[in-house]
Amino acid sequence: MLKINNLCAKVGDIEILKGLTLEVKPGELHAIMGPNGSGKSTLAAVLAGRDSFEVTSGSVNFDGIDLLELETSDRAREGVFLAFQYPIEIPGVSNLNFMKAALNAKRAHKGLEPIKAKDFLAKVKDCSSLVELDGRLRDRSVNEGFSGGEKKRNEIFQMAMLEPKLAILDETDSGLDIDALRVVSKGVNAMRSPDRSFIVITHYQRLLDHIIPDFVHVLSDGCIVKSGGKELALELEEKGYDWLKESSHDIPNI
Amino acid sequence: MSVFTDKFSATLPPPTRRSERWKYSPIAKLLKNDISISEEAAQGINGWPESVLPNPVINLEVYIAVFKNGIFEETLSDLPNSEGIECIPFSKLEKSEDLEFSNIYSKKEWIGELNERYRQDGLYLKVHRNVKVDRPIIIHHLTDGTGVASFPKHFIRVEEGADLNIVVWSSASDDSSGMYNGILEASLGPNSLLSLEKVCNEGGKVFHFSHEHIVQERDSRLKMHTFTIKGDWVRNELEIISRGKGTDSVFNGAYLPVGTEHIDNHTTMDHTVSDGTSTELYRGIMYGNSTGVFNGKVFVRKDAQRTNAFQQNTNIVADRGASINAKPELEIYADDVKCAHGCTVGQFDLDALFYLKSRGIDEKAAKALLVEAFLADVLSSVSCKELSDEIMRLYTERHEW
Repeated sequence: MLKINNLCAKVGDIEILKGLTLEVKPGELHAIMGPNGSGKSTLAAVLAGRDSFEVTSGSVNFDGIDLLELETSDRAREGVFLAFQYPIEIPGVSNLNFMKAALNAKRAHKGLEPIKAKDFLAKVKDCSSLVELDGRLRDRSVNEGFSGGEKKRNEIFQMAMLEPKLAILDETDSGLDIDALRVVSKGVNAMRSPDRSFIVITHYQRLLDHIIPDFVHVLSDGCIVKSGGKELALELEEKGYDWLKESSHDIPNI
Repeated sequence: MSVFTDKFSATLPPPTRRSERWKYSPIAKLLKNDISISEEAAQGINGWPESVLPNPVINLEVYIAVFKNGIFEETLSDLPNSEGIECIPFSKLEKSEDLEFSNIYSKKEWIGELNERYRQDGLYLKVHRNVKVDRPIIIHHLTDGTGVASFPKHFIRVEEGADLNIVVWSSASDDSSGMYNGILEASLGPNSLLSLEKVCNEGGKVFHFSHEHIVQERDSRLKMHTFTIKGDWVRNELEIISRGKGTDSVFNGAYLPVGTEHIDNHTTMDHTVSDGTSTELYRGIMYGNSTGVFNGKVFVRKDAQRTNAFQQNTNIVADRGASINAKPELEIYADDVKCAHGCTVGQFDLDALFYLKSRGIDEKAAKALLVEAFLADVLSSVSCKELSDEIMRLYTERHEW
């Protein structure tokens, strides 16, 4: 589904990703962990097409398409979804109009008619109950006046509405209390399917108690320095990241 | 008769850039034009271009007063004719005893003096005590022709407890040029309500000057909107004087010029007595090589204690060649007041744009959503939905959102 090969990216003159390689197959859930400043959020932003980052070399192949050649909106239409670490507030744009526009853009891309009002509302109802998103929040301006937890739940609500092929969750667990974390995780787990893949970027092992990854990767200084199964997360929790930095040269990228 | 070469035209000199009020809206270009008053008599429907509807808000049931090049067009007009409402053009008015024109403007500004000197016609409108006019009244001005000037002046009196909705709509056919110089004076009696919407949707190359002078008495409410949809060179001057306690004044505006259009909004809110509230919100998006001016003055006089005045002007400069000069001015002489003002000039919020795009919405549609949201606060307070829908439709059509 997704093949990232030797990806390098910089912002301004600062190199952040320094040859990152990763393959995600359909249905897999990959967790990416790593210390602050290791390039986790940069990876998410580059995949989503944020133009403040410049890709200097490497390639990203998504279902046979050169992802880096696509506009941000086209990537989304092809099935890439980014759940933002800090969701943006957009006063005056209603959450529902926003979702309707997004859904219909995606449908038009596939040659489908705009969704019928009745079907749309039914879908909204299903998806919002999945993350226990209050009807009141659904109808308000996008993220405006939402608490941190509500914003994150709104991200998962949007993900459920848009049914992406590849979902990238950028620190969706940061700033969540245990209850909210449980709700968000429940939403993500309900979305897991054999043809949908996830990249879950997190700073904390806690999330991986709720969302069980197939693979865990450690990102450090712009490349993946260690990969393993879900037990790697526990090891990291116990030992921190320092032991990896010291021995990173011995461990080849996968 | 050419207006600018007529030596009797005005005693005041035309304003220059040395005057602060005109610094960013120089009129030198206007003075090079040969502009004269149309002397043709009213031609009714035969002289009216097909492309312009006499009632510009087709879905709205209205009374309508139509003026072409400043001349009242009786056959296209439909004035209210019920008890408690006097609505008649000056050219047909017999009495003139209670015309309380303030006339200050004609003494202090060249533009005002020109209007005084060349005044053609206008609406005399008086709503009697506790009468509510059942439909909005649209005053529609059309400029049609080359080098034509119109000089209307309207007089509106809303008596105690009365309720009136007026729309002043100006249009011009695409090959027109000239000048529109219109004045509107309104006085609001105690506890009355005036909703006043001003819409400029002029094609061609017309210099548009409009000046509203509004006096509010005790507990009266003003809801005013100034929308510039299209206009080559537009200056809107609005002056509101709160002369009685407890008045409420809401005045909002929006402008989205393109190309080399110039749009200027000068507003003055004068709180002379206590317990008044004013809320002002002007929003603009400057496209292309357009230029703009916002100048908002708020005076809170010594006796205007417990005034609550709010002013906000928010601008987006969408393209590199566009610019706006924005200046809020507050003068406060009372000591127990609440006044807030904010003025910003910025660009489209790139984070918001990226967020929308990351959900599959393309750049153009994403910008349209942001613009709609940006205008929503101004449009949502318009007195009737048919009108705000039509204004949004015209903006949408023009900008191809």
